[in-house]
Amino acid sequence: MPPKGKTVAKPKEAEKPTPPSTTTTSSPTQPTTVNDRTKQRIEAINPLSAAVTRAGGISHLAPAERTLYINARFAQSPTLRAKLGTKAQRDLWRHVNEASLPVRTLLPVIPKTNIWGSDKTGRDVGTYSPEEFAARSQRRNRLTCLLVASRAFEARRERARRGVKDPVTGEVVMVAENEVDQERERRREMDALRRELYGVKTGSYAQDPEWDGVVPVELGEQEGELAAIAYPEEYAEAISYLRASMLRKEYSPRTLRLTEHVIKLNPAHYTVWLYRFSILSALNLPIPGEINWLNGIALSNLKNYQIWHHRHLLVDHYYPTIASDPAALASFAASETDFLSEILERDTKNYHVWSYRSFLVRKLGMWKMDNERERRSVEAMIEDDVRNNSAWSHRFFVVFNDPEQSTPDVAATEPDPAVPGDIIEREIQYARNKIYLAPQNQSPWNYLRGVLVKGGRKLAEVEGFVGEFVKNLGDDEKEEVRSSHALDLLAEIYAEKGDREMAATCLKRLGEKWDPIRYGYWEWRRGMLEA
Amino acid sequence: MPGNNFSSLPDELQLATAAHVKYIQSLDTRKDEYEYWLTEHLRLNGLYWGLTALHLLGHPDALPRNETIDFVLSCQHDSGGFGAAPGHDAHMLYTVSAVQILATIDAFDELETRGKGKGLVGKFIAGLQNRESGTFAGDEWGEEDTRFLYGALNALSLLGMLHLVHVDKAVQHVAACGNFDGGYGASPGAESHAAQIWTCVAALSVAGRIDLVDTDKLGRWLSERQTPSGGLNGRPEKKEDVCYSWFVLGSLEIIGKTHWIDREALIKFILGCQDTEKGGISDRPGDAVDVWHTVFGVAGLSVLRYPGLQPVDPTYCMPKSVIRRVLGK
Ligand SMILES: [Zn+2]
Repeated sequence: MPPKGKTVAKPKEAEKPTPPSTTTTSSPTQPTTVNDRTKQRIEAINPLSAAVTRAGGISHLAPAERTLYINARFAQSPTLRAKLGTKAQRDLWRHVNEASLPVRTLLPVIPKTNIWGSDKTGRDVGTYSPEEFAARSQRRNRLTCLLVASRAFEARRERARRGVKDPVTGEVVMVAENEVDQERERRREMDALRRELYGVKTGSYAQDPEWDGVVPVELGEQEGELAAIAYPEEYAEAISYLRASMLRKEYSPRTLRLTEHVIKLNPAHYTVWLYRFSILSALNLPIPGEINWLNGIALSNLKNYQIWHHRHLLVDHYYPTIASDPAALASFAASETDFLSEILERDTKNYHVWSYRSFLVRKLGMWKMDNERERRSVEAMIEDDVRNNSAWSHRFFVVFNDPEQSTPDVAATEPDPAVPGDIIEREIQYARNKIYLAPQNQSPWNYLRGVLVKGGRKLAEVEGFVGEFVKNLGDDEKEEVRSSHALDLLAEIYAEKGDREMAATCLKRLGEKWDPIRYGYWEWRRGMLEA
Repeated sequence: MPGNNFSSLPDELQLATAAHVKYIQSLDTRKDEYEYWLTEHLRLNGLYWGLTALHLLGHPDALPRNETIDFVLSCQHDSGGFGAAPGHDAHMLYTVSAVQILATIDAFDELETRGKGKGLVGKFIAGLQNRESGTFAGDEWGEEDTRFLYGALNALSLLGMLHLVHVDKAVQHVAACGNFDGGYGASPGAESHAAQIWTCVAALSVAGRIDLVDTDKLGRWLSERQTPSGGLNGRPEKKEDVCYSWFVLGSLEIIGKTHWIDREALIKFILGCQDTEKGGISDRPGDAVDVWHTVFGVAGLSVLRYPGLQPVDPTYCMPKSVIRRVLGK
């Protein structure tokens, strides 16, 4: 660089400046990337810099070019120019002008950092091909247009809300249904574009004009490792709108739909069920419609108990409206039984369903309704699977809690003189028939004992029947026991009759051979005989 | 007594204590897993299960005490009740877990100084009792279940506030859930079920009314739950399962009939449900582990006097030492 005060080097006459060699090089090849193109453009308007780069340093330039390069740098920089005298500056300008360098300048070097930014994958946009870059620009333009239209929609809706009159037509601004639909469509497109361009996702509620104005309540970051919770995006967004709606105590069709969405994502979220019920009550929506909707949810979430509590609440809410109309009551009971049968077909021992079922029988008084449909329905289930203990238990409930033939508040394990004798007989017979089908099945044996107690009958009443399952007791060779439950009951029958020795033999054989896993129990029973 | 024979068992039938401790510690670092947020409504319960398992395994300090307290208190509402996680509604089940956790780590004082106080917790629970039927609802919406009744008596007794509720009426309701087979169901008329039996019997135990149980009849039904695999099922003709093994065993222990079943066979069944490498216990051998089956597996082994475990209180499913400290007995 020329030191201060010296005149600018003048080219010798012989070295009359020729246009820099760059301008004479063949036109650049087609750029393959945006960065390439930028580089070519920078080179085109900084021919001298390019020449320096090509030559491999200033010192390698031809002297005339070197002088021109240095002068051009001085011309570009006010700081450098200030170091020259007036005369030197004049010479400098003349020299540079004569070389007719490009007027516009870009930075002479391409910055290292990605000047075009990154796309959603983190890729430098500078590495795009020009075609890709053009397509990206087009999307950006499209997004801007949509944004403008969307703002216009929002402004228009705001005017409509405030009842502003259109200055041209003089009529109050109205936002039509199809405009909202268009806006929804527009936001969907904007979301797609944002995702495409920047990888930014807008939740489906944020996109929905129906939810504008609701500020979602995100769960604040809690301190400490134990509390931070990670949600997938869709669920997190739905939950944040749920929280906002619950805080606003909003009971509306849109919040009802929101609860449905959350329930479908996570039916075990207990709060959403409670909120849904309060929306239904506040809007006074028809319960049968809700029950119908619930059927579908229940069928796809067999193990969820919130569903059954919700149903319980619905029935409690609905019952007073049909209580005085026997036909309505019967029809509701029938549709419930139909559904319960359907769901129990898929999961025959589902505890929530059976618990709900006993609640329903009591609530609607279904004991003898529709020609004892409840008992017949359970009977059909026992026909299908004689080992279904839930069905046995429900049968006991239906038969022995019917207020027409039982005493209220008598415990299940106590005799009840209000139960007619023929019912006791019928139930003993029923249990016996089922025991024949599968003698080692404990449900009908427990049932049989339960019925005998209810009827205040002696166990000895079934001694003959029980004896059929036990042959040659105590004879090591010939002993034959088809049911350990029979042997157990037989021990009690002997004890009841005071035959301690036979009772002890039964219990000894149970512990030794027929049910050794409960040896401790049988031995305890044997010990009790002596007491 | 079993216990003497265990050193002779093969490795897979030894309790993998270190692996279980690690597994429980890892539970809260799985926040990127789908399961984690889907089970958010169980978060406070999960903490109680994990913490109790750690105490029974003899590693009471494996979870950071202060963070545990912070998290529990962050779930408390102005009503005094606790939700499953911050932002969830208050509910009986989570309130009980919160009380059990605070009792276990001896932090009732913190509830007083940094939380909303014991008094409000007691008031929340007492407010859920139906004064006519004696039952308890889970929350203001009124779902009633014997699990809530048991939870209420459990937590109130730990807080020393049983006098806030009608214990006698609650006891009457439990009695009404009794069935012809000697078991108990979730509500009057509902089928006997091991988990419901445990909550009913444990509730009666808290109330000091075990005299109401026909222990011979119930013990008979409970002992019939053992299957040839050694494990116990929850209802007749259902599959054996580690959690039901606890519900049956805990009930048998409360009524003093644990010796009615084959204890060694049950120990082998529970040990066979361990993931001995990654830790944790599953419902049945070979299934995926979870913290629920882990705590009940460990608690079951504790009742069965498996060597090296802290004794568990069958009524509270908490370490006996904690119950002794809190209740002074
Ligand atoms: Zn289980």
